[in-house]
Amino acid sequence: MSQIIDKLGGIETFGIVSICLFVAVFTASMVLAFCLKKPFLKSMGALPLEDDRPKNNITNPPSL
Amino acid sequence: MNAASPTLAREVPRTNVETFKYDNRIVRAFAIATVIWGIVGMSAGLLCAVQLFFPAANFNLQFVTFGRLRPVHTNAVIFAFVGNGMFMGIYYSLQRLCKARMFSDKLSWLNFWGWNAIIVAAAITLPLGFTTSKEYAELEWPIKIAIAVIWVAFTINLLGTIVKRREKHIYVAIWFYIATALTVAILHIVNGLEVPVTFWKGYSIYAGVQDALVQWWYGHNAVAFFLTTPYLGMMYYYLPKAANRPVFSYRLSIIHFWALIFIYIWAGPHHLLYTALPDWAQSLGMVFSIMLIAPSWGGMLNGLLTLRGAWDKVRQDPVLKFMVGAVTAYGMATLEGPALAIKSVNSLSHYTDWTIAHVHTGALGWNGLLTFSVLYWLIPRLYDTKLWSTKLANYHFWIALLGMMFYVIPMYIAGITEGMMWKQFTKEGFLQYPNFLETVQQIIPFYRLRAIGGTLYIFGVWLMAYNLWKTARAGVFVPEEEVQAVSYRTQSAAHADPAFSHRWLESKPMLLTGAALIAVLIGGMIEIIPMIVIKENVPTISSVKPYSPLELLGRDIYIREGCLGCHSQMIRPFRSETERYGEYSKAGEYVYDHPFLWGSKRIGPDLQRVGGKYPDAWHYNHLDDPRSTSPGSIMPRYPWLLSQELDTTSLEARISALRRVGVPYPAGYEGKALEDLNHQAAKIVIDLSVGQVKAQPDREIIAVIAYLQRLGADIKSAPKAVPAVAANK
Repeated sequence: MSQIIDKLGGIETFGIVSICLFVAVFTASMVLAFCLKKPFLKSMGALPLEDDRPKNNITNPPSL
Repeated sequence: MNAASPTLAREVPRTNVETFKYDNRIVRAFAIATVIWGIVGMSAGLLCAVQLFFPAANFNLQFVTFGRLRPVHTNAVIFAFVGNGMFMGIYYSLQRLCKARMFSDKLSWLNFWGWNAIIVAAAITLPLGFTTSKEYAELEWPIKIAIAVIWVAFTINLLGTIVKRREKHIYVAIWFYIATALTVAILHIVNGLEVPVTFWKGYSIYAGVQDALVQWWYGHNAVAFFLTTPYLGMMYYYLPKAANRPVFSYRLSIIHFWALIFIYIWAGPHHLLYTALPDWAQSLGMVFSIMLIAPSWGGMLNGLLTLRGAWDKVRQDPVLKFMVGAVTAYGMATLEGPALAIKSVNSLSHYTDWTIAHVHTGALGWNGLLTFSVLYWLIPRLYDTKLWSTKLANYHFWIALLGMMFYVIPMYIAGITEGMMWKQFTKEGFLQYPNFLETVQQIIPFYRLRAIGGTLYIFGVWLMAYNLWKTARAGVFVPEEEVQAVSYRTQSAAHADPAFSHRWLESKPMLLTGAALIAVLIGGMIEIIPMIVIKENVPTISSVKPYSPLELLGRDIYIREGCLGCHSQMIRPFRSETERYGEYSKAGEYVYDHPFLWGSKRIGPDLQRVGGKYPDAWHYNHLDDPRSTSPGSIMPRYPWLLSQELDTTSLEARISALRRVGVPYPAGYEGKALEDLNHQAAKIVIDLSVGQVKAQPDREIIAVIAYLQRLGADIKSAPKAVPAVAANK
């Protein structure tokens, strides 16, 4: 079966293309992740904790 | 206030503060459904487990016999328990992460009632035998359409909420929710394409190898995008909440997300190693499965390291205990999965209980424990009170853990035992255990232990249900939570994100959705293109013909009874298999199989070459009482096949539908089909009488015998290839 598929031409490149695509996606995500600034990473990492303040999601309370 | 308030520096004019309410009613509805369906689904699984060492536990009722009950169990725990748990987790966290109420309350309730009506429909139709036979996609076409409609409603509600959010940047949990919504829709639609025959019967448009590849592309990614990605999203929200710590590394979560969703979609062919699928596709599935370790463990470590500095809390807090247990089980399952995808390991593990152990590490550990932790965390908040009994929740954790151990360890031992026994040869070169039953008898003690494990686990769920019930009674339900927030849209443009950065992407929901869609489509496309190529090039075997009308109806009864839950129809090219079952399976043998029936587990032997192996009377007696012909068998009895009349009313429609998907029945054959059916049935009745069996020709068992006797018969009747040397003489 694989021989027949192989003879169709170009089929063996699928494997190489697949790996190259993954390397591209992985590299792009690494570059994008490492270009982010620390304050942004810190603020996003803590986002789930923001609504812990009772009944108030104002990031900067009006009284301040 | 929490220590981590990163956006304190923003200047917020008082006039921009908006007051709105989070919808807790929908979260509570999904939470209740999660607990109820969890108990139902797990109990169905326990009954299945008991039937494997005590076949009479089906009470001779066709509706609760293993073959029909197993999909009830799998669908109930996946789509009912985890499905409702997923919606519960998403509906609560999405509103808070977006600082917005759900886009539409009507869509929320359509999602809830529609989804649960589908589950009820599944709980009715699967025991009745209405099934496509494709694992985790068994529901017939009308229900499949309903699933698509409800899923679209959920997706619109999800994306609508994201669009109207007040928080500018979309948190990582939501990316996982988006990937879930998109990918499940694609998988469900592509795998579910059928030609309807009757209201409760359809034939897959794909045949044989193509059907197998599409099905396991779906099946594997149902695990990935239904059982994993939404729960990873929940982990990224609820774990920091419960630990009161920010995520360990937001940077790692970015890499985790993109690498995971990109790789996962490729790994489906690892379910078809050493089958008639092309080697190229198998190797691709194996390589990508191994690569999957990296993002999976990245995510696991990100979860566990979020607890840094809070490990002392784990000792006291049952919520954190469950979360640590869940994330650890995720790590174990995602290390084991790639190991099982290595071809040499898979040659031993496939078709054995090792796979069952593996999936239950994920299901009981990752999905089960994480669901319990979210429930324990959420219900007290929804009722504005404390958990009724922390002690009872701690007991639940240890009982669940013990139950898991009693479940998976015996299944590992059983899996490796049966795998080794199937392959064992004597020094003279014969199979050490030629009788398959010997291998079954060896693992029955482990089946008993597994049932103890399952009982413990369900007992723990009952404890949780009681604890949550008491918690709810002690508190007051908060149907809507009033909050205030400032929309990012009212803030100055000074905070604009650098273009084409990930930060920028996180503020563009449609772009993010598009990027996620492309990431999952690439793998799917590259796997489906070879599938189309194969369709044009499966080597045809001239002796392989379409099923006769009687065989076709027998095959549909085989599907109805879920026989493929225990019997494979795929002989791998190993000497241990060809010695036991006969010639290995070829892709060309399945060209008329809509759907394919390769199976994924051998509780009984493979049936691909069973045709002609036994006389008709043997099959008749065996189906009536398997222990009459095979002492010690754990197969259930099928007495109803002997008494139920064969329904031929839709025969013409079945033949027409199969012709539409490419089976070459001659034009107008519908008019002759019933005559052919009666003729073949009469011959079988005569053959049965030789074996001292008196049977009526219009009973279902006659069709089943016709089908079983056809299996593998085509290739046996093929003319033997003449060796080149002999041909030249």
